[in-house]
Amino acid sequence: MIDIVNVTKHYGSIQALRDVSFHAPRGSILGLLGQNGAGKTTLLNIITGYLAPSSGHVLLGGYDPLMQPAMAKRHLGYLPEHPPLYDEMTVCEYLSFVAELRGVKKHAISAHVSEIMELTGLLDMRSRLLSNLSKGYRQRAGIAQTLCGDPDVLVLDEPTVGLDPKQITEIRNLIKTLSKDRTIIFSSHILSEIQQLCNHVVILHNGSVKLDVPMSDVYDSREMTLLCTLGTAQTQIAQKLRELEGIRRVTPQSSARPNESAYTLTFYDEPDPERKLFALLSGLDIPILHLSRCEDTLEQVFLRVVSE
Amino acid sequence: MRTIFKRDFLAYFRTPTGYAFMGVFLSLAGFIFYLYNLSTLSSDILSFFSQLTLLVMLLTPMLAMRLISEDRQKRTDQLLLTTPISLGKTVMGKFLAAACVILITILLTNVYTLIIAIYGVVYPGEWFVGLLGFTLQSLCFLALDLFVSCFAKNPLTSAVFAFAANFVLWMTDLLANNISITWIQNVLNFISLYDRYEPFILGQLSYSSILFFLSFIAVCLAGATHVLDSRRFSGGGAA
Repeated sequence: MIDIVNVTKHYGSIQALRDVSFHAPRGSILGLLGQNGAGKTTLLNIITGYLAPSSGHVLLGGYDPLMQPAMAKRHLGYLPEHPPLYDEMTVCEYLSFVAELRGVKKHAISAHVSEIMELTGLLDMRSRLLSNLSKGYRQRAGIAQTLCGDPDVLVLDEPTVGLDPKQITEIRNLIKTLSKDRTIIFSSHILSEIQQLCNHVVILHNGSVKLDVPMSDVYDSREMTLLCTLGTAQTQIAQKLRELEGIRRVTPQSSARPNESAYTLTFYDEPDPERKLFALLSGLDIPILHLSRCEDTLEQVFLRVVSE
Repeated sequence: MRTIFKRDFLAYFRTPTGYAFMGVFLSLAGFIFYLYNLSTLSSDILSFFSQLTLLVMLLTPMLAMRLISEDRQKRTDQLLLTTPISLGKTVMGKFLAAACVILITILLTNVYTLIIAIYGVVYPGEWFVGLLGFTLQSLCFLALDLFVSCFAKNPLTSAVFAFAANFVLWMTDLLANNISITWIQNVLNFISLYDRYEPFILGQLSYSSILFFLSFIAVCLAGATHVLDSRRFSGGGAA
């Protein structure tokens, strides 16, 4: 549905994007992750045709937004970082205006806009001026305009930024609902949000794609991390732990109480690391006060990818 | 195009801009009417129209400043440029919205013509030629201001640039008289709006001037479209 092929973008001497390529299949929710200045907004602007790439191209439903803008943009709904709202219009007028821009037939506009307002929870605000809406409702209006014309592709640039926790949950649920029959690309700083919503993740760093995998492949299933607290303060135990079969890393934790020590143990390709650890420590007569498996979070993956 | 036109036209009257433009224009036009017609008991409608040029020069930047630069400032350009509507139609729709406000204002200015008609003599041909010349000249200033507004992100900056551009365009014939290089003189004389407007002030229907005015508007609008389109490549967004 969305193909980004070798896209490079220069702003004068600054290279914002380097040879970015990835594919978002129909019906997927693709999360775009990256630090500030990684090139996320530039990439989204290029996908929507707002900016032109210095080289490479983008295809939306098979159409290039620069060469065939009318065809490509028919498939597209875009929520930029700041919702593009005309403050002097009411919610209903604004959505009707956008629907008309996106080619919705005149006689169908009223029903179409009502449906969108119902879906986005804006029905009660239909006659309110956009300038009088709260931040949360402005964001909703921004999302609502992306749905005008019923596009197949939604590009959302940080849709939950600046919202309170309740509004964030509502917007996330809305995105989930919308994803049923659409392809969605959205950027976010909130890693848990990407983890919850997306089935594909792309990590951008310094303008290059560092990771482009389905969410299920983000975590290496052969890697296993254990958190353990031991009833000893001996530091030599770390050396013994490093001799365990399949161990990759032993990281002491500073959170341990007096006469205790805590470690994060990362095993690789080891089917039963707990049994190995128990055997070692029982032989040394060291009690295990706490032991748990720790799942690799997207945050850890992200930090590892950008620091490589 | 119609959608953009409708929105931008209504926006002039949902904000004070449209009312301010019309109010100030008509008040100052009334003042000029008093000075040039009422106080001198003159029914010369053409000299009245010719004096209105100064008002158009001063006030069209007020209308043009919100057309492109306000969209850039409020980032609503990101909406316009990611919908299927073409850039050319967007520019045209915006121009027509502001042109409509000017046309309504000019039509209302005819209240003064009506006063002359009641108490004096108005020759319909003379009135029509004067009105046509003044309208076309006003639209030229508006098209130039829209073009200039493509270069500014702040509406106020855009208005200042637009006024400077109007002033320079109006003064090109004076500038030409003070330059000794013939080809520059010829170019300046060619683009002088004042020279092109002169036949209308004299009551002559000049087809070459009409063609010039229309071409001038077309070039400014095409230029604006080109500037916005090329901005996609330079990185600042298209509008």
